[in-house]
Amino acid sequence: MEHFIETIGRNMFAIFGVMALAGAAIMVASRSAVHSVLGFLFAMLCMAGCYLSLQAEFLGMAQILVYAGGIVVLFLFVVMLVELTKHQGGDIFHLQSRYAVVTVLLGAAAFAAVFRKTLFGAASKEALVLRADLAQGLDVATHNAQAVSRGLFADYLLPFEILSVILLVALVGAVVLAKTERV
Amino acid sequence: MVNLNAVLLISFLLFSIGVIGVLIRRNALVILMCVELMLNAANLNFIAFARHSGSVSGQAFALLLMGFAAAEVAVGLALVVALYRKRDTVQVDDINLLKG
Repeated sequence: MEHFIETIGRNMFAIFGVMALAGAAIMVASRSAVHSVLGFLFAMLCMAGCYLSLQAEFLGMAQILVYAGGIVVLFLFVVMLVELTKHQGGDIFHLQSRYAVVTVLLGAAAFAAVFRKTLFGAASKEALVLRADLAQGLDVATHNAQAVSRGLFADYLLPFEILSVILLVALVGAVVLAKTERV
Repeated sequence: MVNLNAVLLISFLLFSIGVIGVLIRRNALVILMCVELMLNAANLNFIAFARHSGSVSGQAFALLLMGFAAAEVAVGLALVVALYRKRDTVQVDDINLLKG
């Protein structure tokens, strides 16, 4: 029994990853939009689990707050606002032109060409370990939030401030787009 | 232990599911969700490489990307609502104004 639990603990990332893939598949394949949103929610929660098993605790919590708490609720509100039942009977999929299929195949080939080197090369054998000496004196694993905040507010302060402007623009843009036109 | 390959493979598969969803679904809402999924796959790669190199930059950028995704989804959903008001549909192949 202990051995079993230990095996699960070691393979936590793979378990969460496969569950996230399953949630994503449900999202793409399900007919009802609400089921799609629920599949998306499941995939996002499993992604948070993946982040946690990669020892990015702060990002795992932020993932749950931002995606499961904010974005999924936003999607559910829009599903409620927009009446989707009209197209319930029709086909939910449509295959684009065959150029799109060719593009996807080309992309898959490019990915495979990259993976052929990384998946089976010498670097593929080494496990992911944290190297504390590179993290500016702070261990990324044990002082995760401190390390991330140092990265965010010391090294990347300008991108952070630009992001705040982007959020403001998105806020104003969303209000302008979604408001009813005055007669 | 987590292998870098496992992370890259999961991230690649998530990205592929996102691309397939964007290409074959008709519903604009599901297409937006698939775009979010692709952004998440990129985030996973950021975190994996941050761990691989031991530096914190990848995690900081993953956090920035999360805020960016939130801004994107707000504008996207506002567009969907505006589209529904104007054209009374959210199915992307009913929207062909550019074809003339």
